[in-house]
Amino acid sequence: MTVGLNAFILLAGLLFAIGMFGVILRKNTLVIYMSLELMLNGVILALVAFSRYNGTMDGNLFVFFIITVAAAEVALGLAIIVALFRLRQSVMVDQLTSLSR
Amino acid sequence: MNELLIEFLGGFTKTNQWSAILPEIMLGVLALALLGAEMALPKNKQTLIPRLAIWGQVIVLLVVIGCVGWCNVGESEYFSGLIIQNDMTQIMRAFFLVSSIVVCYLGQIYLSKQSLPKTEFYALVLIIAAAMMLLVQSANFVMLFVALETVTVAFYVLVAYSRTSQFSLESGLKYLILGALSSGILLFGIVLLYGIAGSPELMGSSRDSLNYNELANFITLNTNNLIGVDNMIVKIGALLVVAGICFKIGAVPFQIWVPDVYQGAPTPVTAYLAVASKAAGFIVLIQLLHGPFISLKEFLVPVLSVIAAATILFGNVAAVTQRNVKRLMGLSGIAHAGYLLVGVIASLYVPWAVYAVIFYLVTYLLATFAVFGVMSLAADADDANQELDHYENFARKRPFLGGVLVCGLGSLAGIPPLGGFIGKLFLFVAAFQAGLYGLLGISVLGVVISIYYYFGWIRECYFSAPSIEVVDDASCSATLADRILLGALVVATVVIGLLPAALPIIR
Repeated sequence: MTVGLNAFILLAGLLFAIGMFGVILRKNTLVIYMSLELMLNGVILALVAFSRYNGTMDGNLFVFFIITVAAAEVALGLAIIVALFRLRQSVMVDQLTSLSR
Repeated sequence: MNELLIEFLGGFTKTNQWSAILPEIMLGVLALALLGAEMALPKNKQTLIPRLAIWGQVIVLLVVIGCVGWCNVGESEYFSGLIIQNDMTQIMRAFFLVSSIVVCYLGQIYLSKQSLPKTEFYALVLIIAAAMMLLVQSANFVMLFVALETVTVAFYVLVAYSRTSQFSLESGLKYLILGALSSGILLFGIVLLYGIAGSPELMGSSRDSLNYNELANFITLNTNNLIGVDNMIVKIGALLVVAGICFKIGAVPFQIWVPDVYQGAPTPVTAYLAVASKAAGFIVLIQLLHGPFISLKEFLVPVLSVIAAATILFGNVAAVTQRNVKRLMGLSGIAHAGYLLVGVIASLYVPWAVYAVIFYLVTYLLATFAVFGVMSLAADADDANQELDHYENFARKRPFLGGVLVCGLGSLAGIPPLGGFIGKLFLFVAAFQAGLYGLLGISVLGVVISIYYYFGWIRECYFSAPSIEVVDDASCSATLADRILLGALVVATVVIGLLPAALPIIR
């Protein structure tokens, strides 16, 4: 049995949507981080699927760039969260309100 | 054997086009050299590092202007279509270099008031400048993504640079979450376009569908042929890409990060975000709208018009009640993004409007850096807390800085003898020629509102009741170099206002 392109794209779109709603709705910054990763994974799945079905390598190559950038973003984000936690003892978004006036 | 080797090397030199991006390579090397210099230099010589950064960039600027040529280089393609250089990218390269030089100088003022590591700041500013120069030259979505992420990841560090301040860290976190979200949206759009344009079943499909030109050909061929789902995918892809870019320029449905990040970030970083990051976003938007998405004009123009109108109104109305000057600059920056969007839309109908947008960006650079320069000098150690009240009697205490502030704010508001007026005039004439009367009306209304809050700040400086004691604190005194830099910005603003032809962009 072969799985069609549409199934892959549907799954990728679903992953992307779940990630996006996670970013918007969740309150814990660490969970928001995981949701961001989920979004990128949806993008990567779609890229690989398109690359396979279109018969071009560009998509597969692009994936490596995305993984690299995502790794850099996570490393930075965790550093910022740790530094913030030391100052505030909290990683919840609804307590990060010192700027809004 | 020998001939084979010579042939191989000959082919290698033919494809060697690294000299095309010499300025970017120089900036990268300079950034690494700064980090090396920090280790090599003794403690008492560390003040050399900012000077090295600034003068090194001046040399790179001379290289850009001198060797690569100022204007009329024609259009040339490098690295098999990854990079395209033309007049506009040459101007923008110089633009980003000038802004990073000023940011390095402002950073020196800021860092002298804080106890923070210093060298990394300059290195990151240089890397951002190099990445933005590559960003505006990119002609392929992979190149676009890599350059854009280099810019944003380095900006995450700079925004959260003041590690001991909860404001800076909080704004860094907010910028990171929303920036990563926008990158994800942009990426999903790119992937959809890549998939549909590479699909072998469709007419005009391309093997290299991440390239702008190939994608433009595909979309132009298929605008009328595609039906149902395929057509939807092209439109959704284009819309997601435009949404990702709108995030970077701070247009309205995606503007939530702007006030918080502008307030929390160190003042020089705020200036860098306000000028260079926004300018890069606009140039990329122009290139996308004139390149791959040119056939989707009928679909994208109404969307962008609504965004532009909402951006102008939101930015100006929200800025009216604002008391924190950094938030005020952020919100008024949203309004400026709205005027620039009007110019971008107009450029789809009248080609010279592209140069009106660049002219506006140049006047915006001069005026914004003048204002942020004064803010850097006037700020105390608590950088996020800069209220309008701190500027009471400012002009009486610091006549020179007060004068610079008036020129900068006047230019931002668009008062006649200054550069900002001519910039707005060009944009509005372009919008008029393009027949965008509704947007033109909203822009003029926005300018009228903006005069209220810009002049509120000036009134605070000059006409507030004299306070009980005039404290003459030495912390915000301007040195000779400060005066030269700020004076140059003001003189350039006035000269451009009086003689717009002095700028080589206008022929």
